[in-house]
Amino acid sequence: MKAMILAAGKGTRVRPLTNVLPKPMIPLIRKPIMEAIIDHLRTHGFDEIFINTSYLSRSIEEYFRDGDRLGVSIAYSYEGQLVDGEFVDKPLGSAGGMRRIQDRCGFFDRTFAVLCGDALIDVDLTEVLRKHRASGAIATIVTKPVPRDEVHKYGVVVTDDGGRVLRFQEKPKVEEAASNTINTGIYLFEPEVFDHIPSGVEFDIGSQLFPKLIAAGAKVCAVSLPFEWVDIGCVSDFWEATRLVLQGRVRGMRTPGTEIRPGVRAGLGVNVSPHAIISGPVYVGSGTVIEAGARIEGPAVIGANCLIRGGAHVREGILGDYTRVAADAMLEGHIVFAGRYIEPNGTAIELHDADIGWLIDDARKPEVTPPQHGLLRDTMREAAAQA
Amino acid sequence: MDMKVTRNNDATLVEFDHLRLDAAVAPQLKAALLKVVTDGAKKVVLDLHKVKMIDSSGLGALVSVLKAMNGQGSITIRGASSSVMGLFKLTRMDRVFTLETVAA
Repeated sequence: MKAMILAAGKGTRVRPLTNVLPKPMIPLIRKPIMEAIIDHLRTHGFDEIFINTSYLSRSIEEYFRDGDRLGVSIAYSYEGQLVDGEFVDKPLGSAGGMRRIQDRCGFFDRTFAVLCGDALIDVDLTEVLRKHRASGAIATIVTKPVPRDEVHKYGVVVTDDGGRVLRFQEKPKVEEAASNTINTGIYLFEPEVFDHIPSGVEFDIGSQLFPKLIAAGAKVCAVSLPFEWVDIGCVSDFWEATRLVLQGRVRGMRTPGTEIRPGVRAGLGVNVSPHAIISGPVYVGSGTVIEAGARIEGPAVIGANCLIRGGAHVREGILGDYTRVAADAMLEGHIVFAGRYIEPNGTAIELHDADIGWLIDDARKPEVTPPQHGLLRDTMREAAAQA
Repeated sequence: MDMKVTRNNDATLVEFDHLRLDAAVAPQLKAALLKVVTDGAKKVVLDLHKVKMIDSSGLGALVSVLKAMNGQGSITIRGASSSVMGLFKLTRMDRVFTLETVAA
């Protein structure tokens, strides 16, 4: 079966995480979100996959390559141009991206799936396919029931009793919503759908293609299923999703590594002092050193090749690879990634700008003890000793 | 340096009017606050609601002033934004200064 994964977005609402990574490559513990999606597609027999890329495309293409490592075949459709040696991203929208692939090689020659590369799902695609075929629809949308008071956050799909889509409501007020089933961005299409998508222009599935199909009287159906949908819409969602994976509450995503203490899993070559205090659930990345007197309180993820000095306390944090935390520092509820100290709401302090490299920095940089911050450092040590 | 000092009976309010409390302005702030302290202030309330970011030098300057008070007084930080609060917590200085939580 064939599928297309939409991975061309900029992920602006998840900045600064997406300053250096496209959203589908954001890792939950160690695994990029899109890898979990590809695994899921493969489980349901979708093993020929086209991925549209744009923003920071190289990280996606270099990670997945041709897909053999994951037991699928993958091709990429890059939306942009190389101008004067610089990549200029020119995303075409979800339907525009589909059209580009079809124009280029006629890939979609039978029923195919389209879904986003940045939300974890465990929907029963086999069941959706069965219902789609039985309905004879040109397009089927996978919808999901949500609590009534949350409908204002989503695109609501209104159907008749037979599941045929009548109309959509974008983020309606709760009292105006005509249903509580929402569009999850997972679709099945017949190749005939391309008769309704123009070439060479930006075209979006939700806001342009579907209204066009419905206006043309084409049969669009919705299949409503309850399933797990973990969408990383903002930095705090990333935080929440990581916590869920650590707690073993996300199907298809397990914390990797081996258990070194109850509730604490670690990768290879980890050096955790017997005098380090760690309470799970925590994942410690390979090659990381945690010194005596350091404290880690889960849920927390420490990346690979990190160094946590004695007296430092990390409580509910996510530290990127190669993070060094100075003695006595107190990191609570923060993410360290891409040179920034990030709060769950996305506000970030730049390590370099705030001159806090002596507290948190890339572990590969030489360690500095700036004399000008000596008083602050001593006062920190006193405060840590009393903690 | 833009700063306003208001003395009243129980506390001296210092309003710091810069976007950044960083190495560029820290020495002046330190000198000004030390003067407030040597003029006899025991309780200093430092209003930082205009401050978008603070760096290590800025925080270090505040610690120097607190140390100069020799356990005889206190510094309360008012209006700290979440990123300013972030640096206080990272360095455990939220245990050493009083941080007034902003009322809604």
